[in-house]
Amino acid sequence: MTPGVIATRAGGLWRTLPGSGRAALVVVAFLWLVSAISPLASRAASEIRLEDRLQPPSAAHPFGTDDLGRDLLARVVAATPLSLAIGLTAAVVSLVVGFVVGSVAGYFGGAADLVLSRLVEVVLCFPVLFLLLALAAFLPPSPATVILAIGLTTWPGDARFARAEVLKARDLDYTRAARAAGASTPRILLRHLLPNVLAPLLVSAAFGVAWAILAEAALSFLGVGLPAPAGSWGGILSAAPAYIEEAWWMALFPGLALFLTVSAYNLLAEGLRRASTEKTFA
Amino acid sequence: MLGYIDESRQGTPVDGGVLRRRLVGDPGTLNAVLQSAGPEQEVLAYLSRNLLDFDSGMNLVPGLAEKYETLPDGRTFRFWLRPEAVWEDGTPVTSADAVFTIRRIQDPKISSPVFKPVFEGLEAVQTIDARSFTLRFRDFYAYRPMAFVMPLLPERRYAGKDFARARENRFPISNGPYRLVTWKSQESIGLERNPKYWGERGHYDRVIFRIVPDDAVAYRVLASGDLDETRIDTSGKERALSDPAVSSRCRLVEFYNLDYNYIALNNRSPFFSDARVRRALTMLLDRGRIVRSIFHGSARVISGPWAPDSPAYDPTVTPLPFDPAGASRLLDAAGWKDTNGDGTRDREGREFAFELLVSAGTTVGREIDETLAGELRRVGIRATVRPMEWAAFIERVDAGDFEAASLAWSASDPNPDPYLYWHSSQWPPRGLNSGFYRNAEADRLMEQARGERDDRRRLAIYRQLHRIFRDDAPALFVTNASLKYLFSRRTRGLATSPVGLFGIWPGPLAWWEETPAARP
Amino acid sequence: MIRYLSRRVLLAAPTLLGIVILVFLLLHLAPGSPVTAGGESSRRVSQRAAEEMRRTYGLDRPLPERFGKWLGRVARLDFGESFVDHRPVLERVREAFPYTLELNGLALLLTLGIAIPLGVAAGGRPEGPLDRASGAMLFALYSLPSFWAALLLQALFSIRLRWLPLYGVVSDSAPPGWSGLADRLAHLALPVACLTYGSLAFYARLVRASVAEARQADFVLAARARGLSRRQALWKHAFRNALLPLITVLGLVLPGLLSGSVIIERIFAWPGLGRLYFDSILSRDYPVVLALSLLGAIATLFFTFLADVAYALADPRVRDGTIE
Repeated sequence: MTPGVIATRAGGLWRTLPGSGRAALVVVAFLWLVSAISPLASRAASEIRLEDRLQPPSAAHPFGTDDLGRDLLARVVAATPLSLAIGLTAAVVSLVVGFVVGSVAGYFGGAADLVLSRLVEVVLCFPVLFLLLALAAFLPPSPATVILAIGLTTWPGDARFARAEVLKARDLDYTRAARAAGASTPRILLRHLLPNVLAPLLVSAAFGVAWAILAEAALSFLGVGLPAPAGSWGGILSAAPAYIEEAWWMALFPGLALFLTVSAYNLLAEGLRRASTEKTFA
Repeated sequence: MLGYIDESRQGTPVDGGVLRRRLVGDPGTLNAVLQSAGPEQEVLAYLSRNLLDFDSGMNLVPGLAEKYETLPDGRTFRFWLRPEAVWEDGTPVTSADAVFTIRRIQDPKISSPVFKPVFEGLEAVQTIDARSFTLRFRDFYAYRPMAFVMPLLPERRYAGKDFARARENRFPISNGPYRLVTWKSQESIGLERNPKYWGERGHYDRVIFRIVPDDAVAYRVLASGDLDETRIDTSGKERALSDPAVSSRCRLVEFYNLDYNYIALNNRSPFFSDARVRRALTMLLDRGRIVRSIFHGSARVISGPWAPDSPAYDPTVTPLPFDPAGASRLLDAAGWKDTNGDGTRDREGREFAFELLVSAGTTVGREIDETLAGELRRVGIRATVRPMEWAAFIERVDAGDFEAASLAWSASDPNPDPYLYWHSSQWPPRGLNSGFYRNAEADRLMEQARGERDDRRRLAIYRQLHRIFRDDAPALFVTNASLKYLFSRRTRGLATSPVGLFGIWPGPLAWWEETPAARP
Repeated sequence: MIRYLSRRVLLAAPTLLGIVILVFLLLHLAPGSPVTAGGESSRRVSQRAAEEMRRTYGLDRPLPERFGKWLGRVARLDFGESFVDHRPVLERVREAFPYTLELNGLALLLTLGIAIPLGVAAGGRPEGPLDRASGAMLFALYSLPSFWAALLLQALFSIRLRWLPLYGVVSDSAPPGWSGLADRLAHLALPVACLTYGSLAFYARLVRASVAEARQADFVLAARARGLSRRQALWKHAFRNALLPLITVLGLVLPGLLSGSVIIERIFAWPGLGRLYFDSILSRDYPVVLALSLLGAIATLFFTFLADVAYALADPRVRDGTIE
C-alpha cells in the first residue's frame, strides 16, 4: 500500500463515483472550508446583545438572532468545526475499536470469539440512551465525553463486519499457503485483508460520520451533550423549543445545517458503496 | 406597580361547573406528609385541610384547629380541633390523627422534606383529649406558628400499614371540600365534591387537573379552551397580550411573590473568599438590563436574600450598581490582575477561571448566566456556563461542591429567617448554607433575631442584616420576577398573595365559574 | 438446527447478565441519588438528612450485596418498587406499555405497509422514474434528524395551521369509545409520523436493493420466459427471495424503533416506556431503570434471535447442520 497506489485508487474512486456522490463530496469539502474560516465568526457568535434578542431574519442578521441576541448565522458557522470533528472522530473510534475486536474474534476463534461476541451482543442490546445519560452525568461535558459515548455504542456493527471478513480470509488458500511459508498472522491479515476491506471501510466510515453527527446533535438537544456557548448545532437547537412560537428561525437554520451535513455524508457513503460494488462486478 | 388582588368576597358566587387546571407534572404521591413538589401541593389543597392556614394577608387563621393558644413559656402550644371536622368516611378528625401525623413527620425513616425541618425542635407531643393536644418545642422561635400550617393524616387508615407504601398514598382519604375520583397516571386527576365535608363547600362540582409538562403546550391548550388556567412566563405573557383570540377569552393575573433568582458562590474557594471579588461580580451583572430585556420589565432587582415584598427587605438598601470599571478596580485591589498577558486575570499563578453550574432544564437561568459570563469575559474572568442534569446538579449544590451555581429560591411561607441558609453553623453536610458563608457579625445578628420576641425589633435586625448581605455579597442576588397566570375570564373569586395563588385559605376553594356551562 | 438455536439461547444468558451488571454499576456510580433527585430546588435537604434517607433505602450497603439482592428478587419476578411513588415497578411498566405499543405498532405497520410496496415497485424498475423520485425522497428522510422534524411538524401543523393537537394522548373534551377515535388518531398523527419516517426510509431502500438484485436472478427470468407478467414475477419470485434478508433486518429495526421512541415520547409528552425510562434516569429511580434496561435487553435479544431463526430457516446449510 504505497502512497502511489492509494493515490491511484483515490483517483479511480472519483471516476467511479456516481454524480450524486460527487456532489456530496463537494458539499463535504465546502463544509470543511466553512470550518476552516469559522474562527472569523466566533466573535459575532458570542456577542450577547439583549436588546436584539429574537429578531427575525434580516439583512443585518440573515438567520435572525437567538434568545440572547447573538447572530444565528455566526453561531451556526461557529458550530461547524465542532460538529464535524466530533462526528469524524467518533466514527473513527467506532471503526478502530470495532475492527480490532472483530478481527481478533474472527482470527483466533474459540474462546476469544465466544467472549468477544458476547461483548458485541452486550453493547448491541445495551440501552444506548442510558449509557449516554450516565456518561453525561459523571464525566464533564466535553467533546471527548461525547466522542467516547458515541464511539462506544456504535462499534458493534463494524466488529461484526470485520469478524465476517476475517473468517472468510482465514480459510483462503492464499492465507494457508502464506502461513505454511512462515509469514506472521498480522502481516497476512494486513496484506490480504486490508485491500479487500478498504472500500467497505470507507463506506462504513462515511455512514458512521453521518450517524455520529446525528447522535451528537440529539445528545446536545436533550441537554446532555456539549454545553453552550461552545456548542454544536444540536446545542443551538436545544434552546429552540422554548421559543418555537415566536422564533421559528432558531429551529430552522441549525437544523438545516445539520440536515445538509448528514445528507452529504450519507450520499457520499452511498456513492462510495455503489462505486466499490460496481468495481467488484467489473 | 403590581399589587395583590382579593376577589374572593366579590360578586355572588354560583355553584356548578367543572374547573380545568393544569399541573406541570404527575404528583409522586398524595400523602400530605410525604409531599415534596408543586403538583402535589396543588391537588392536596382540595383534599387536605391544614391545622391552621394563611389568609391572603399572610395572617394565620383557623383551619382544622378552631383555635390555638401559646402558653406563657412561649414554646408550648395547645390546639383545639373543630368538633365538626370529619374525614371522608364520616369518622371525626381527632388528636390521635394529629399525634400520628407528627410522629410520622419526625420518623427518621420517613422522608418529609416540607415538614421535617420545621419540627426538628419539637420536644414533646401530648394528647389532652379527643379534640385537644399540646406541642412543646425546645425553645422559643418567633416564626414557630407557621409550622402549624400542616396537614393531618387519618391514623386509623394507616395503622398497621407500611407508611410509604400504603394505598392511601394513591387514594387519599379527604377531610377537605373535595375527594379524589380518578387518577390516570401522567394524564389527569379528577376530583368531585366531598359530601361529608364539614365546612363551606366549594363552588365547582368537579375539578380536573391535566398534566401538561410543557409551558408552550399549556398555552396552546388554554388558548383552545381546554384549560381554565395556566402559569406562563414572560414570553407567554407577550404572546397572550398580542393575541386577540386569547386576550378576549383570558385575563392576565400577575403579581410578585417571595421567590427570587440568585447565583450561589462558594465562599471557601480561592476566587470568592474575598468580599471585594464577590462585590465585583455583582457589579458585573447588568441586572437592570436583564429586567428590561429578558423579563420585559416584570421583575425587580434585589439586593439581599429576600424578595422586596418580604417584611425583612429594607427598600433603602439599594442594589450595587452595574459598574464594570468599578468592578475592575475591586478585582485589581484584590490582587487579580492579568500578569501574563493572556487575557485572563490571575493571582499567585492561578487563573481566574471557573464553572458556573446551572440545571439543564432552565431557560431564564441559563440566559442570565450567559449574560454574566459574557460580561466577565470582558474584564478578564473566564466563566464557563455548565448545564448539568438535575440529579447531578442538586447533589453538587447540596454538598457545596461548586464554584458558582445558579439557583432559584422558592418560598412556601413568609418566614424571613435567613438562619438555615446563611449562618455559619449550617454548612454542609449538616445544613443548607451550601456556599459556606461565614460572617461573625451576621451570625450574631441572625442568632439574636431568632430569639427576639418583639416583631418590630426583629425586623429591624433583619434590615441591618440586609445591609450586611448587600455589602458582603455572599451570593449574587439577581431578580425577583413576577408570577404570571392566564385565567379564563369566566373564573372568578381569585386572590393573590406573596406566597402565590395556593397555600392560602380559601385560595382556589373560593373560585367559581360565571354561568357554568353543562360540560361533560 | 435445533442445536444451533439452543446454543444461541444459552449464549444469551451471559449477555443479559453482562448488561444488567453494567447498568447496575453505571447507575450507582453516577452522581446524584434518588433521595435528592426527585425533588425541586425549593425542597432541598441537607446532606446529613440525605444520608439518613439513603440508609433507609438500603443505598449504603455494598454494591455486590445490593446486586445479589436485586437478582434474587428478579428471579422471583419481583422487580421491586419505584423510588418515586412506591408503586410496584411492574405496575408502572404495565401502565406505560400500551402507549409505547400503540405508537411503535402503528409505526411498524406503516413502515412495512409503505416500504414494501414502494421498495418492490422501485426495485422492479431500477433507475426508472419512481425509483429516482422515491430514492431522493427516501434519502432525505433518512438523513432527517427526528427531533428537528418533530419541532418543524409541530410548528407547522399544531401552531401555524392548528390542524393537529400539540401533545398528549387524548383531549379532555373528546368522547370515549369509538367516537373519540378521531381525536385519538389526531393525537397519534405527529408522533407516529416522526417515528415512522426514519425506519421507513431505511427499510424501503433495503427492499428496493434486494428486489433489484433478485430480479436479475435466473429463476425470475425463467418465470418471465414461462409467461408470467412482470408484476407477478416480481411479487411471486423476486420479492419472496428477497424476503428472508428483510425479515432478518426487521429484527434489528424493532429495537431501533423502541430507542427512537424515547425522544419522540419526550417531545410529544407521550406517556410510554421511553418517557418513563428517561424520567427515571433523571430522578435516579433505580428499580425502574434496572427493570426497563433488563426488559429492553431481553426484547432486543429476542428480536435478534427471531431474526437468526428466520435466517437459519432460509439457509439450508444452517438447517441441515453443515455449518453453525
